[in-house]
Amino acid sequence: MKFKNILIVPIILLVFVKSFAQEKDSIQDKSWYTPDYVKMQFAGNIGFLSVGAGYQLFNDVLYTELLYGFVPKSISRAENIHLITLKNTFPLFRKKIGKELTLIPIAGIAVTYDVGSTTFTTLPDKFPEGYYFPTAFHATVYAGAMVHHEFKNKSLFKGADYYLEVGTVESYLWYAVVNESVTFKNVFSTSVGVNFYL
Amino acid sequence: MKFSKIILLIVIAFTFNNCDHFFEFSVYEANVIREHKNTTAKNLELLKNVTTNSDDFKFAFITDVHYYYDDLKTIVDDINKRDDIKFVVFGGDIADQALLKEYEIFYDIMTTLKKPYLTVIGNHDYNSNGAFIYKQMFGDYNYSFEFNNNKFVVFDNIYLESDNEVDFDWLSSALSDNANYNQVFSFAHIPTISDDITPEMQENYTSIMLDNNVALSVHGHTHSYSYEPGVVSYLIIPTVKDIAYGIISVQKDTFNVELIELK
Repeated sequence: MKFKNILIVPIILLVFVKSFAQEKDSIQDKSWYTPDYVKMQFAGNIGFLSVGAGYQLFNDVLYTELLYGFVPKSISRAENIHLITLKNTFPLFRKKIGKELTLIPIAGIAVTYDVGSTTFTTLPDKFPEGYYFPTAFHATVYAGAMVHHEFKNKSLFKGADYYLEVGTVESYLWYAVVNESVTFKNVFSTSVGVNFYL
Repeated sequence: MKFSKIILLIVIAFTFNNCDHFFEFSVYEANVIREHKNTTAKNLELLKNVTTNSDDFKFAFITDVHYYYDDLKTIVDDINKRDDIKFVVFGGDIADQALLKEYEIFYDIMTTLKKPYLTVIGNHDYNSNGAFIYKQMFGDYNYSFEFNNNKFVVFDNIYLESDNEVDFDWLSSALSDNANYNQVFSFAHIPTISDDITPEMQENYTSIMLDNNVALSVHGHTHSYSYEPGVVSYLIIPTVKDIAYGIISVQKDTFNVELIELK
């Protein structure tokens, strides 16, 4: 898969979901399964680039999202990495900072599954029982800030969230907590992303 | 707008100053940075500059760090205090899940060691993309070197996790010139008494040791101490977690082993 191909995926997804949603608009009702937003994220241990869709649940106290993340071979140096992520972000509070802008500090947890041949969810038979812990699942914890932008012109999208997070993986965090010689600077990294509201 | 700008600037400034990697894409990444590559070759080069005045010298054996990084640091600091130790062999399980991050943390701590060090690959180091990372960061899985007219053979005896066959032919040929040296020492992660290698492998290994006059074979993996002196002696050093390591004192045609416990 060429690197530029990954950019085509979100574009197709956006166009497809948007046209689908517009169809729904004509009957003035959104189906329960139509996502509230589509999104794209860069980095954050869930892929070089991740694309997906999400819902704002329980009166907007939880943003829950399903993403597909990809790391091309040219960046991973090993094989292409394919990741499926369930991401849950909690807005901590909302502060209006402009006519169309709202600042929202966020924190959350994501669970990532590796669709690959080098990892496993159940221990292969060749190993004695309990020899290794499953390697295909990892959790990511993060906190950061999001700016919600309510668009004046809602013809394409109603609005957008731009966010920046600092986060780490559960194993890394554990290593940093139990070892003085492993510092937070060794294990934390940054991610940026955008949500477009349908 | 001002408020959000300030927060964003703080977050950005914090991460720019503080993160080893500003962006990380996956735990399974295997992008070993240039400075971390070919560590075995670099250390063998350093070892060439280490000199001894007599046939007598000492080396240390540490093994099985997994994620007990503070304990590794304690051991490294202790070895740094001793001038008599000429180099260090690390016996495998450098990583636990074999993630690049684990390899990097190990690498960073080992840069504080003031002696050359050489590594053996362990079973945990083969998980996920670990074998690829090991090759990039350290080098060959099987290799040998010499010091002060003694020969040292580092052997990869991992088979369950590895796609490669355990290369006993390589081991035999690497040991075939044993008559040229004062003594020969062999290192492999899994000891012959472990059920994690097959009885055939155990037999193969011990007969090669015997046929090639190996003085001492040193291992890790079991996380416990064991020493069986014999025609070929077998030593197993406990895990870093026990804050313990071994010192092997080499003389012209004999050697002594000592377990250092810092707990």
